[in-house]
Amino acid sequence: MDKAETEAIRKVLAGDRDAYRVLMDHHFCSVYRVAFRITGNEADAEEAAQEAFLRAYNKLPGFRQDSAFSTWITRIAMNTAINLVERRNRDLSYHAPRIADEPSLDGGVVTVAAAKAQSPESVLLDSEAASLRRAALDTLTPMERTAFTLRHMEDLPIAEIAAALNVPANSAKQAVFRAVGKLRRSLAPLAGGVQ
Amino acid sequence: MRHFTEEELIAFQLHETFDEQAIYKHLEGCSECAALSDSIAETLRIFSADPVPAPDLDRNWQRLRGNLSVLAPEPRHRWMHVWKHILSWPAAGLATAALVVLLVFGIHSRTATKPNYAINGRGPLTTRPVDPAIANHIDAAERLLTEVNNTQGPLDNVTRDQARALLVTNAVYVRQAHSSGDLAEASVLEDLGRVLTTLDNEPPTHESAWRLRIEMNTNGLLFDLRVLRQNDTPTQHQGPTQALTQGLAQ
Repeated sequence: MDKAETEAIRKVLAGDRDAYRVLMDHHFCSVYRVAFRITGNEADAEEAAQEAFLRAYNKLPGFRQDSAFSTWITRIAMNTAINLVERRNRDLSYHAPRIADEPSLDGGVVTVAAAKAQSPESVLLDSEAASLRRAALDTLTPMERTAFTLRHMEDLPIAEIAAALNVPANSAKQAVFRAVGKLRRSLAPLAGGVQ
Repeated sequence: MRHFTEEELIAFQLHETFDEQAIYKHLEGCSECAALSDSIAETLRIFSADPVPAPDLDRNWQRLRGNLSVLAPEPRHRWMHVWKHILSWPAAGLATAALVVLLVFGIHSRTATKPNYAINGRGPLTTRPVDPAIANHIDAAERLLTEVNNTQGPLDNVTRDQARALLVTNAVYVRQAHSSGDLAEASVLEDLGRVLTTLDNEPPTHESAWRLRIEMNTNGLLFDLRVLRQNDTPTQHQGPTQALTQGLAQ
């Protein structure tokens, strides 16, 4: 852990909450990145990253400073993001149409929030292949998705993923292998699927 | 010619296998495995990393800051000052005594290192084999059993298929261990064979899955496999004492 971070933690523990900004500047982007890989969308990734930083702040008095803050916050973020995904999966209403923030003018009729306007380019990009990819990733358990995305997309070593998920290295490895197998089967309609 | 399983080829594509060279050679001559390997590579390519949008750091900080309470420094206890005062003058003497004790203890513990002791009373484990194929087999078996151990409910078909694939290769390694006189390894692999056979043949009910988990945990098979894996991992060639320690730590 570098000197600036050690000093920032000392200041935070002495009552200066603004010193926490140093730690946030150093690590928020990487924590957000990990959260984005796990949750798969910007809004949830921001929520998970914020919650992780808040939890870390509240636990800071018990943080052993001989370990790296980055490893610690990443571990908290992974768990927070996985919990969020599980919560979203349980909450079926999350995927339902939202009621508009503004009250409706034509009394008594509930207005449904308008979907984000999409440009023709983004409509084109949202092709069948992209939705198949999303659907395939949705078939993974949060653990499989986390292990797979961090190993394959973020190139993190299995040992690090296992430590962060608090499981044996072989369980993390197995989760990655299972994920790849499931994805391959899900993509059967596309080239490269199961033969 | 033994074909590689999907799992082995996934490990190969992700560079998580011990004998990449052997698989590479096999793929050159086996069109069936090469097609499967290409299909896995294609899947991985389809799911290659998408760019991650950059978060707005200022906005996130402003939102977070509002939720941060001011952490108060912990009050220092008076009794700590008293202890400091008491311990100040004999501290040097105590430190010297501790150093002497450590030196004596260090010398004794170095001479008392235990060689190759048995696990589960089956005789010494070998430190010799560095066969990457066995290492991969044990690794795959350990992963499968860990998963069986940690999941709930009846076993699914994928798990059963993996057990069947491992059962075939296991028979080869049991014979190999017997012919090389490595009875400890043979014994563990025979135990593994029994569990894999049960995995493959048991009816898919909740009760049979639980019976299997209890059996695995009672005879310590998973632990034995972890010790064997430590011994057989080519990159970590080491003594059984270290292997046992690491096995326990996992």
